[in-house]
Amino acid sequence: MWKNYLKISFRNLQKRKLYTGINLIGLTVAIVSFLAICLYIQHEWSYDKMYSGYERIYKFNQEFVSEGESQLVSSTPSSLIPTLIDEIPDVETGTLLFDLSIFSSVLIDAGEGNQEEESFAYADENFFKVFDFDLLSGNPSQVLSEPNLLVLTRSTADRYFGDAGSAVGKVLKVEGMDFTVSGVMEDFPSNSHMVFDFLASFKSHRHGKNPEWSPSNYYTYVKLKSGTNVVDFQDKVEKIKEKYLGKELAQYGYRTFFHLQPVSDIHLGDQSLGSIKPGTDIRYLYIFGIVALLLIAIGIINYVNLATAEATERNKEVGLRKAMGAGRGQLFGQFVSESTLLTFAASVLSVLLLYLILPKFSAISGVSLSADSLINLGGLGFIIGLILIVGLLAGMYPALILSGMEPIKALANKTKMGGGAWVRKSLVVFQFFVSIGLLIATFIVKNQLDHMQNVSLGYDREQVITLPYHYSMRNAVETMKAEMLKSGAASSIALAGDIPVHIKAGYRIFPGGDNQREFMITGYSTDEDIVKTLNLTILAGTDLNDNDFSREEANDKEDLVPIILNESAIREMGWNAEEAIGKTVNFGHSDARIKAVVGDFYFNSLHENIGPLGIFKDQGNANVLLVKIPPGNPAATLATLEEVWKKLVPERPFNYKFIDQEYAQLYRSEERVGVIFTLFSGIAVLIACMGLFGLVSYVALRRTREISIRKVHGATQKDVISVLASDFFKLLLVASVLAIGFGLWFSDTWLQSFANRVSFSPWPYILSILPVLLLAGLTIGYRSWKVFRLNPAKTLKTD
Amino acid sequence: MIELKNLDKYIESRFQRVFILKGIDLTIKEGEFITLMGPSGAGKSTLMNILGLLDEDYDGEYFFGDRNIKKMKERERAALHKSEFGYIFQAYHLIDELTVYENIETPLLYRNVSSNERKSIIANLLDRFNMVAKKDLFPAQLSGGQQQLVGIARAVAGKPRVLLADEPTGNLHSGQAKEIMEVFQELHREGTTIVQATHARENADYGTRLIDMLDGKIEKDEAIVHV
Repeated sequence: MWKNYLKISFRNLQKRKLYTGINLIGLTVAIVSFLAICLYIQHEWSYDKMYSGYERIYKFNQEFVSEGESQLVSSTPSSLIPTLIDEIPDVETGTLLFDLSIFSSVLIDAGEGNQEEESFAYADENFFKVFDFDLLSGNPSQVLSEPNLLVLTRSTADRYFGDAGSAVGKVLKVEGMDFTVSGVMEDFPSNSHMVFDFLASFKSHRHGKNPEWSPSNYYTYVKLKSGTNVVDFQDKVEKIKEKYLGKELAQYGYRTFFHLQPVSDIHLGDQSLGSIKPGTDIRYLYIFGIVALLLIAIGIINYVNLATAEATERNKEVGLRKAMGAGRGQLFGQFVSESTLLTFAASVLSVLLLYLILPKFSAISGVSLSADSLINLGGLGFIIGLILIVGLLAGMYPALILSGMEPIKALANKTKMGGGAWVRKSLVVFQFFVSIGLLIATFIVKNQLDHMQNVSLGYDREQVITLPYHYSMRNAVETMKAEMLKSGAASSIALAGDIPVHIKAGYRIFPGGDNQREFMITGYSTDEDIVKTLNLTILAGTDLNDNDFSREEANDKEDLVPIILNESAIREMGWNAEEAIGKTVNFGHSDARIKAVVGDFYFNSLHENIGPLGIFKDQGNANVLLVKIPPGNPAATLATLEEVWKKLVPERPFNYKFIDQEYAQLYRSEERVGVIFTLFSGIAVLIACMGLFGLVSYVALRRTREISIRKVHGATQKDVISVLASDFFKLLLVASVLAIGFGLWFSDTWLQSFANRVSFSPWPYILSILPVLLLAGLTIGYRSWKVFRLNPAKTLKTD
Repeated sequence: MIELKNLDKYIESRFQRVFILKGIDLTIKEGEFITLMGPSGAGKSTLMNILGLLDEDYDGEYFFGDRNIKKMKERERAALHKSEFGYIFQAYHLIDELTVYENIETPLLYRNVSSNERKSIIANLLDRFNMVAKKDLFPAQLSGGQQQLVGIARAVAGKPRVLLADEPTGNLHSGQAKEIMEVFQELHREGTTIVQATHARENADYGTRLIDMLDGKIEKDEAIVHV
């Protein structure tokens, strides 16, 4: 019976080449997209589940609450984990990590000169007990147990020693200190929230010898014993905190909490928390999942529409089979097996295609995906399930219609066009609603991204490069600045704690006097040249100069620190620019005098509003050198700068970055969403238009006789096209109206997350609807034209 | 075997009922070979469809043996339909996508006949109708007469007790028609009950009983006497 079904299905598919082709391509494209998205989602979902007992591993985040304002950070003090291990029996083990790369790069020398490394962390001796990564060589409990030990990843070891096997025992100089390679581990898997090239023993670090309760710079992980109640454990942590920090907290009037976060939640969790590797907003995963389902739905709808439309042609067959004793169930089975066979073919093609496109898709999504995870029992089960579900969904409705036909009517060809015309119409509307809707969303996303790249940030980000500054350069930096300026390769140079794209340091400020309200303010450690270099606008007061104290000096001399505030800061204090000048404020526990007020500029993501900012001299905390270069040949300019650099600090790497590129990096995840949206909305439109082509072809064919009669009676081509087109255009218009509604809702919702958003523009709507209508028009026009060209004498005779 | 009592079939049009069949009383005994004749629109095909359980929309009683069709459950009716009836159509109505062999096989599939049994039944039929060499051809590759032979082979494959043939020779020339009628005669001799509708008087001579229909009523019902 099944053999027979399959045989007939196969011949039927073969016979109707156009429809089979449309369905096959549509389903294949939809299934490839679906599988690619599923792999992506699976990868994102699989984060940090490879450690044994991962359900019992938690990371600590620390919350600071002061004056009703709270701030959550992902790091904790170095004393936390040793204390917990000692005092709470629930703790099986725990470890801490100190990620040096968030502060600065590290210079490493294997005897061939310094190399700058950006992915270096200290980890304590328990690291491999909590995270049981595979070690190629070395004993996991010993590789980090002594000072000055270093574990390399396989690729790092290859890089330095050519052969991972021979690395153990070799010595590397890290910032001038000798470290012995004690082990080589496999590279961190792509679905781990951490990725480093080097792990040094924490005992080599000064805080590793004497743990402290401040500062909070360390990532802390704890592994609880099985059966531990997390709520109870949290209470015990709370008691420990009171025991060691209670007094200090009471004294300074703020509160702090240590919160547990399951390690497998880090990647998809709160994205505002800093983490070793940027996470993924879980909402995007949902959106991609929905898009994947919609693509499949569009492919299925093509099948349903074409199959029900051509149902009339199969009336005879259905009638006959019924007359010969076929039950409804048996007919249903036959038609469903037809759609399932097609889905099967599409799935096989999809998996092959997947291997071709996956490297490309990996590049776009920024996640290295492999289709190999489909080639196992679970993956095959998933694909078989997919085939059955898609086959059933596609075949079910046509099968119901076909098998439900009354045999006599079916034999006499008396049934009307496939029945359920309104179902087909609604499905077409749905397809185009989805396609146009996705297009509109794509354009809205793109508009916002363009807007963010072009918006005025309040400072110059073009022609500014950043160079890594290290405190060991402090004696050379003044000479360097002078020489660079003299060479003409720089028009202005400033030292700063951060690049202006993201300034992070938080301070507290209160104005004093009758205005006692304290609030959080971001502090920008710089030197006197920052306003010039970034071309900030001074609204009142005068710029910092050589004679002004740095924050450090002022502390030493118990003098006032000259400070520049931005507009938001003085607005918060209720002053205007003029009256703020000369006022004294308490800034981070020391007194400061407002020397100037600058116009607001974006020093954070555009997702957030511009907050209060204080700029002060503090070269001791500088990490970067911001260099404004003159317009013209950047290569020559950079060469000149490098020459000066090499002459003065030959041991430091000359590693420049353009600030506008760093700025663009901020929106990489949005950029990625934009690209993925573009890709899949294009695919959706393509599949939907193919379906429309099939449907129009079918209708044109069915109406050949009618069109011929019209032609004989003098209808022009235009008349004929309008006859065929009007029905479809009505559907497209309905779809467009619905899609506009969706677009308005989407732009409202999505743009909510941006403090600085693009203003409403009709273009996304026009650019989405017009091409689709045009494409549909072409499709309809082409088919009508072909029918119109037929010789009426022939078409009428054969009928 | 079959008994129709006061059977009406009509269409409700806007102002009145249009009767297609009116007051049909008909008894068919097992082993009869009945010919229905009458002009187009007399109700022959409608009557055949009702006899063959393809049409259930009528008033009146239909007994198959001692079972009242109207009182049967859908499932029972379907089972009866499968086990007792075979159909032959004027336009042959073979499935274009299937070969001769597969066309004959189709009703057997719906009757869940085992694969080996199917093979032997079809082999016998192909042999009987001299179509062994054509078993892998598609309907489009056969002449009308050959197609109708396949149609008959398909109809009798399930060993039905009643064979219903609606204008089986309508599309054939006289030579082919004669051949078909001889096949019918042979099936009749083997005990199959046959009801055929036809326009050709000479076809009736192969049967045992002739019923003339006009405007949905039975005009004349007489036995054919073979001399």
